[in-house]
Amino acid sequence: MTIQRFLLGAAAILTALLLQLTVVGRLPLPGAEPDLLLVLVVAFALAEGPLSGMVTGFVAGILADALSVHELGRLALAYALAGYVVGLLQDETARSTLLPFGAVLLGGLTALGAFALEGVLLADQHITVYSVGRAAISSVPYAVVLTPFVVPVVSGLVRRLDIDPLRRL
Amino acid sequence: MRGSRRVRLILILLLLTAFTLTALDYNAAKTGPLASLRKGIDTVFGPVQRVVGSAASSVGNALGGLPRLGSYQSDNRKLLEENGRLKGQIASMAGLQCQVDQLNGLMHFVGYTGYRPVPAHVVAVGPASSFEWTATIDVGSKDGIKPAMTVVAYSGLLGRTVDVGPSTSKVLLIADPSFQVGGTIIGQSSLGVAVGHGSRPMTYSLASTRSIVRKGDVLLTTGSDTYAPGVPIGTVTSVTPDTNAISRTATIAPYVDVSALDLVGVITEPARTAPRTPLRPLGVGPSPTSTPCPSAINHGPVPTATPTAAPTATVRPTASSSPSATSSPSPSPSPEFTPTTP
Repeated sequence: MTIQRFLLGAAAILTALLLQLTVVGRLPLPGAEPDLLLVLVVAFALAEGPLSGMVTGFVAGILADALSVHELGRLALAYALAGYVVGLLQDETARSTLLPFGAVLLGGLTALGAFALEGVLLADQHITVYSVGRAAISSVPYAVVLTPFVVPVVSGLVRRLDIDPLRRL
Repeated sequence: MRGSRRVRLILILLLLTAFTLTALDYNAAKTGPLASLRKGIDTVFGPVQRVVGSAASSVGNALGGLPRLGSYQSDNRKLLEENGRLKGQIASMAGLQCQVDQLNGLMHFVGYTGYRPVPAHVVAVGPASSFEWTATIDVGSKDGIKPAMTVVAYSGLLGRTVDVGPSTSKVLLIADPSFQVGGTIIGQSSLGVAVGHGSRPMTYSLASTRSIVRKGDVLLTTGSDTYAPGVPIGTVTSVTPDTNAISRTATIAPYVDVSALDLVGVITEPARTAPRTPLRPLGVGPSPTSTPCPSAINHGPVPTATPTAAPTATVRPTASSSPSATSSPSPSPSPEFTPTTP
């Protein structure tokens, strides 16, 4: 991994996290708020494959975990899994315009399911059928809506840097 | 698939690392390497959030004011009549109006409770996708904020501080499902617990079935180590008897709208009631020369001790009562213990 690629990833994650906390979280949208980090993880997974997706997901998740009140590592696990699953679709989505939307949907549901399952295992009061269902019908569609704005930007940046050693693994 | 074995191995490693962190953090105290990692990230992110958050707050305010416009319409009409010169500006001032309302609410709060909250701005609202209801405010330990302090907004309870960094603090909001606060209905001695339910309304469970709770009753905090007493939480909107018939649950409409927050206050000094000193045993206070009142009630075996008797009489009256009674019978049995004077 070159230093530029590392800096791109770090800058993208930090920007998304800050935007999420300071702007997106305050938008008066109905339902649960959109999850920028998840869209970013999916975008990296689609641009570079499963390894990039899960590493981005893990790092973004750890940072989001540290800035919240739940246990460390929970979002890291959910995002890493989502990044991996979406990364497996990379080859298929490369030639399609509609498949990225499906990939975000899949990634969103994977992350949500993993996080909820962990919550159930840890007896987290925040995880109820209502709250998970609400996120599934609002936060996940929001992520799909954000896809055309984030995915092309990320893949364009990655291609411009012309560094994809991760893809050749 | 290229290198899928290696990728899968790394995936398993990452997932295991994540789960190990979770397991370690699950039972961890507020110390140790994980806590310092969390604190480090918080400390780095705090100032950045502060800067970005205050820059974005004008945008956020304008947007946050949008859903509230409807309720302001009647107010706005009056304002328009009163302030003709502001007519053109009012539409663009929804965000500012929101802020003014919040400040007004806080000032009212200061007026009727006597608390002196430290003012703060909300700079960030908790990360999505973890179902938590938290907010980050721009005051921290440098401003005297500590964990577990009551946070108010408008004129009601907003939440409590949980993690405090040097210049920012995280607030657990009343809507969070793990949020619980002891509450009392005004004018009644009812004791109960108000619980947050995310986007659904708060509920208040009463331990007693005797106290009467009606729609419209006002709920205040009872006061505890964490929460300052007498802070308004909300009003009762409906009451449902529980099926077990030993408790009742009321739904509460909180005074604070957690979805449109800007100006909040942190109560750093809870109310002091009258200074209290521990109760002392009866009779230690008065001097031995004061004439003891003849007792109307028979106190049973009266422990009497002359000043020359055992000095332990005041400390353990029951133990000294029988020996002192046999060795030196007191001429005038008094209901009070006579204190030992040096």
